[in-house]
This record gives sequence, structure tokens and C-alpha cells, in this order.
Amino acid sequence: MRLYVDSTKCSGCNACRVACSLNLFGENNPKKSALVIEPHFPEPGLYTVKVCTQCGDCAKVCPTEAIKQDEKGAYYVDFAECNLCEACVPECPEGVMFVRAELSNSAWKCNLCGDCVSVCGTSALWIAEIETLTA
Amino acid sequence: MNGYAGRILRVNLTTATITKEPTPPDLARDFIGGRGFGIYFLLKEVPKGADPLGPENKLIISSGPISGMMIPGGGKCDWTTKAPLTGGYASASMGGHFTAEMRYAGLDSIILEGISPKPVTLFIDNDRVELRDASDLWGKTTFVVEKQFKEKLGEEYQIATIGPGGENLVSYACINHDYGRQAGRGGVGAVMGSKKVKAIVIHGTKSIPVADMEAYRKAGMALFKACKEAEGLKDWTRYGTTIVVSWCDEVGALPTRNFSAGSFEGGKNLYGPVMREKIVITDKGCFGCPSPCGKYSRSKKYNSYVEGPEYETIGLIGSNLGIDDIEAVAQANRLCDDLGIDTISAGNAIGWAMECYQKGIFTKKDTDGLDLKFGNVEATFALIEKIARREGLGALLSEGIKRASQKVGKGSEKFAIHVKGMEQSGYATHNATAMLLAYMTCDVGAHHNRSWAITYDLQVGRELVVPEKVARIIWLQNFRPMFDVLGGCRLQWVELNIDRELYVPALEAITGIHRSWQDLEKVGERIWNLTRLFWLRENEDFGRQWDMPSPRFYEEAPKTGATKGQITKIEDVNRLLDMYYEQRGWTSDGLPTTETIENLGLKALTH
Amino acid sequence: MPAILRPSGALRDLVGGQTEIEVESGQTVRAALAVVGIKPEVVALVVVNEEQRSKDYVIQDGDIIRVLAVIGGG
Repeated sequence: MRLYVDSTKCSGCNACRVACSLNLFGENNPKKSALVIEPHFPEPGLYTVKVCTQCGDCAKVCPTEAIKQDEKGAYYVDFAECNLCEACVPECPEGVMFVRAELSNSAWKCNLCGDCVSVCGTSALWIAEIETLTA
Repeated sequence: MNGYAGRILRVNLTTATITKEPTPPDLARDFIGGRGFGIYFLLKEVPKGADPLGPENKLIISSGPISGMMIPGGGKCDWTTKAPLTGGYASASMGGHFTAEMRYAGLDSIILEGISPKPVTLFIDNDRVELRDASDLWGKTTFVVEKQFKEKLGEEYQIATIGPGGENLVSYACINHDYGRQAGRGGVGAVMGSKKVKAIVIHGTKSIPVADMEAYRKAGMALFKACKEAEGLKDWTRYGTTIVVSWCDEVGALPTRNFSAGSFEGGKNLYGPVMREKIVITDKGCFGCPSPCGKYSRSKKYNSYVEGPEYETIGLIGSNLGIDDIEAVAQANRLCDDLGIDTISAGNAIGWAMECYQKGIFTKKDTDGLDLKFGNVEATFALIEKIARREGLGALLSEGIKRASQKVGKGSEKFAIHVKGMEQSGYATHNATAMLLAYMTCDVGAHHNRSWAITYDLQVGRELVVPEKVARIIWLQNFRPMFDVLGGCRLQWVELNIDRELYVPALEAITGIHRSWQDLEKVGERIWNLTRLFWLRENEDFGRQWDMPSPRFYEEAPKTGATKGQITKIEDVNRLLDMYYEQRGWTSDGLPTTETIENLGLKALTH
Repeated sequence: MPAILRPSGALRDLVGGQTEIEVESGQTVRAALAVVGIKPEVVALVVVNEEQRSKDYVIQDGDIIRVLAVIGGG
């Protein structure tokens, strides 16, 4: 399972990012969220949203094995094991691996909690099976 | 303090002194936030008789307890000041992301005081607050300024900026943010311009403390669920406020040719679906909003982008000017946004000018050669520019139509459509007595935000003048602006019809204080009376006459459209006011009685 | 197939709580509203088969007509 987004439906409201920060950190602070909303204004006048695709590339390079998989198979960061080395950040193809030392002493990423989907009024976000490319 | 960012920021621009104070718990308890904080500071700190454009006036910007939270519509901040347009109370509500960022920067209110000797930008990044030189930005249009800051600082920074309109002190200059949201009415932009503040740039990374995290998350989720399950969500999101253009046209509420009628023969070209198909790109919303009303659009004809036009701009610059081209309205909207002037007042003022021209009160000599006929798109574009720069006819119009019509005379006062000096917004009120009363008694002037009641008029009987209608208006006035006090938007309740009881546990979980809607409406009633007392304090002859509508609505029945031949009698206008004052606990001249002031616990604030 | 009128929540009160009402084809939406007892003026939006239409649209067999009330305005 992974998170999907249709950016054409995104209105830039950021409700998803507040919900995410509440889940990951128990704090009301969208800067501590695990998805990215890029506004493109005034032209062309739309938002692009980046979400974790559960590719696991981050976990592959983590030297402390801080990025683990839960019982649903979703990758998450074990805050106790992360040493902020940032090896994971450039590996993420979507740019949704986060290290901001002033905000947290651990890296963070999406843990597929689904709260963002619950608050997205335009249904731009949803969770579904990971689609694999077939030959 | 739970539910609050914790600090009031004071910026004395005369002395370039910046101070921070903790947000007083009493203030939070009694006035809650947003517009509540605004009226408190306005009454307490702006001296009687202050020049709205002078150093004694203050611009008070306030977020509220739901701003920046996981609560639908938690994206509004209030801008309160003494209004250049009217000399009375101004409170403008601005959407977008500014209010959330204020909270994350630790600020409940920002108070701008004094006057800066040179143009400045107020720069806020968490605890770092600076006044920076803005002389290179002075003169620039709003999109240019916002883009410049975003490119330099990044998208996390939120920008509020004035355009040339605010710099030139146009009476209805606005403040712009997020490429299409405004603190629109009353001339709040002129106050910012008079203080020589070009822009406020803000960024914060703090979290908001909350009394009960579990309860807050649960209540917030319940609110979002209700919005997502609301029947009208899809339609509302598709059209935003343009959803009512066709309906208003049909029932005679669409202002046409300076409010001379309520239906427009070209109206079909301005309806929501036509606009959607022709120009809309993205449904753009404010912070935390599940029902984004913003329609970010691109006009191919003019190759320009704008967030809009929304209902008001379609009404005031479209049908009100006899313009039936949605792309022209979009372009006019963009011009107003670039220049930083309120589209409602500008459209209304141009409509007045067009009627003056039609009646021969203005000739081409007065209009700088413009053929100012209704429907003339190019003349409209030209006049918008002139208003912002206060050139030629624009200089007269920039003062607002109350002053302009007093100067011009020749009967033009009779068709200056305003109340208290604020140009009437987008609903023609021929034979619609509840909405007429709404405009007459709105606390900032003729604006619809406090008590929109046209459906009610139609349900109950539009010509009726009965106590129930008055009670309805009063209830709406005590209730709807509470969203402005909470730091949020009313449209989720207004348009999606969600159960407002869902907000109660959310507010309690955030602030730790239980408030029912009855409690909140009591706060609303107190604030309402305080704004009334501010008008009284600032205007020697304040009273009943200030609540009178334009004579157009009791003397001139429309000759066309759905309300052809329909008008309210002057006796009924007065009866409406009599009932309103009685139900409000005011004198027959419209002033809060001593008893009312005491009953509401306002004695201490109103020496 | 009969045409179906679906009043929105706020309008259902006006038709005794019904969520779906069969209406005759060949008449305008305006006329159908009058027949079921909904004043056309309180209807803000008419959506026929998910496309917005005016109240003068003539109903065809099998049409699904959603009508939405103007609730609170601006």
C-alpha cells in the first residue's frame, strides 16, 4: 500500500500537512510534515504535491537501520535510531525525506497513517495498492 | 496559553521600535481573537478623532484560535483600523496562509503604530523581527513584490503587500496576499500605505499549544468528515461563489448598471459554468479549507492570470457596469489586484461615474476624454488605473462615492449607492427588506459579510417588514462574524451547511475553555455594540441617518428585470430601523442605551 | 425511464423529506419544481446528469436532476 496524489486536485490548503504533523510528532506544525506542496504561482497557477511512494530507497542507505517497515509494510523512521547523517535525503526520488535539525533531532518521513487522506477536501490524496509495472 | 501563539507584536514605525508582549489571558478569554482583539485595541489605543491616515491610527492584524489548525477554514486573519473610507470602524478579513504563518511565528496580533519616515518591509522570522528598507519596492505592483520575496526567501514565507493604490492612499486601497487574497474593504491598504509599510513578510516554525491534543484531533477530524460528506461540496468547489450568479440574476439581486436593476440581460455570459469553461485553471483555497472557493483563472484574451473573479467582482465590475464579458471582468480584477484596490468599491464607484456620464453630469471634459458609457470595457480598465494613481477623474473617485457625490452634487448623491460611506457590495436590494436592513446596519458600512439574508427574504416574503426578519438579521450579525473572531472562515457553515455544533468541542479542546454557541453569540453581541460605540465616538452626528440606505432603494423601482416595478417604501425602511433598534436595545436614534451597555458588561470599556 | 428529481438537504424539508421524486418529462425544471412544491426562487443550482442547467431546461426521460438550495450566500 502507498499514498497517491492527483496534484491537479490540490488547492494548496495544507490540511494534509497539519494532520501529518499531528500524527508524526503530536504537534500542530505543518513544517514537520512528510509531504510537500509546491505552489507554482502566478504562472502556470497550480500546485504539485510530492508524496512517499514507499520505494524503500531511503531504508537501503540508512547506516543505522533507523528506517524500518511496520506490520503493513510501510517504511517509517525510528526516531531513536536516527543520527541525522542525511544519507537518506538525496536518495528519495520524491524529495519527501526530511531532515531539519532545528525542528527535530531525527529525520522523518511518511508512515502511511492516512490522516492526510481524511482531511483532503478535494480527494486529491488516496491510499491504494502499489501498482507495479509489468513488462 | 493553550490555543494561542502567545505574543502581541508592536511595531512603532515612527521610532522604529519593536516590542513584544505576552497575549493577556483576560483578552483571550473575553475577546477570543481575530476581530475581537481588533475592536479591543482599536477602542483602547486609537484616540478619539485620530486621522485615519495619521500617526495616531493603528492597524491591528489578528489571527484566532483556529487559525493554522486542523480545523476547516482555519485560514483567516482580521485587519482592524479606523477606516479612511468612512471615518468609522474597518475590519477586513484576509484568507490565504498569512494567518497560519503568524501563529507559527508566535504571534496572535501585530499592531502597526505611528508612521515610518521611509518605506519599509516588516520582516518576521520566528523571534527575529526587523524593519527593512523598502524603497526599491515602493511603486511596484503586488504580484511583482510577492514574487520577488518568494523567489528570494522561499515558498514558506508568506507575504502581505500593498500596491500603488495603498501607497497613493486611495480610500479603498486593499492589502494583497497569496496572489489573489485581500484584506479588502474600508481602506486598510491606505492605512498601511500611510504608515509607509510596503509589505509584511512572515515565517515561523513553532507549534501551537493545545489543551487536549486527543480531543482536538478527534474534533478536527469530525469537522473535516462533515465537510467531505456535505451534499453541496462538489458543486461548491467547482464554482465557488460564482455558483450564485445565475440565481441572483434570476431573483433580481444582481446589481445592474449602478444598481438601477437586479437582473442583467447579458448576465448569462457571466454565470459560473461559463466562467469555469472559459478561464478557470485551479480550485485554489485558503489554509485548512476543504471547499476551496478560489477560482484561479487565465484569460486567453488578455493573457493574464487572476484568482477570480468571484461573485462580488462579477457583480460590481460585470453586471453593475453593463459588462457581459467574463474575460474582461477577469482582466479588470487582475488590474485591481496588481494595483491594490478593492474591486467592490472600485466597481461601484465606476458605476456611479457611468451614471453621471449617462445623465450628462459628467461630460468628456470631466472623464479625461473617456466615453464612460455602461459597457465600455476599455474605459473601465483606464479608470481603474486612474483611481489607483489618483489621476484625473480617478482622483475624485478614489475618495469614495460619498465624498465624490457630495463634491459633484447635481443630484448625484441620490444614486451614490453606499451606506455610511462604504460602497454597497454585490446584492441589489430592491424589495428585499431583510438584505436591505443587513446593508443598513452592517458594522463597517454596506457590506454583506455579516448577515447575508436574500434566501431568507425569498422564503419568507421579500416585501414583508416583520420582527422575525429583524431578529434573523440580528442573529446572523451576532453569529457569523464569530468566525472572524475565531480566525477562520464562515463559508464551511454557510455553504456546506455543516452542523455548527461540531466547532464547539474543537474550540474547547484547543483553548481549554468551553464555549457554547450561545456563549459565542454573546461575545458577538458585545463586539457588535463596541463597534457601534466606536462609530459614535468618532462621528459627532452619528445616529439613525447613518444607517439609511441609498434613496435608490426606496424611490426608484427598477424598470427591467425580476424586480421590475418593485420597491420598498420609505416608511418601511424606517419601520425596519425602529424594530432593529428596539430588538438591539438601542435608542430610537440607534445608539446603545446605558442599560444595554451595562447588561453586556461593557461599561469599563466605554468611558 | 422516468426522470428523477433529487432535492438537496435543505430543500427536502419542503417536500416532506423525500430524497427522490419522479417527475414528468417534457416540462421545464421550473414547472416540475412548482408541481412538487418547491419555489423555483429558492433553488440556486440545477444539475442535470451532472451538468449545470438553467431552470428552463426541458426534462427528458431518464434525466437525473439535482437541485441545490441557496443556503447562506456570501
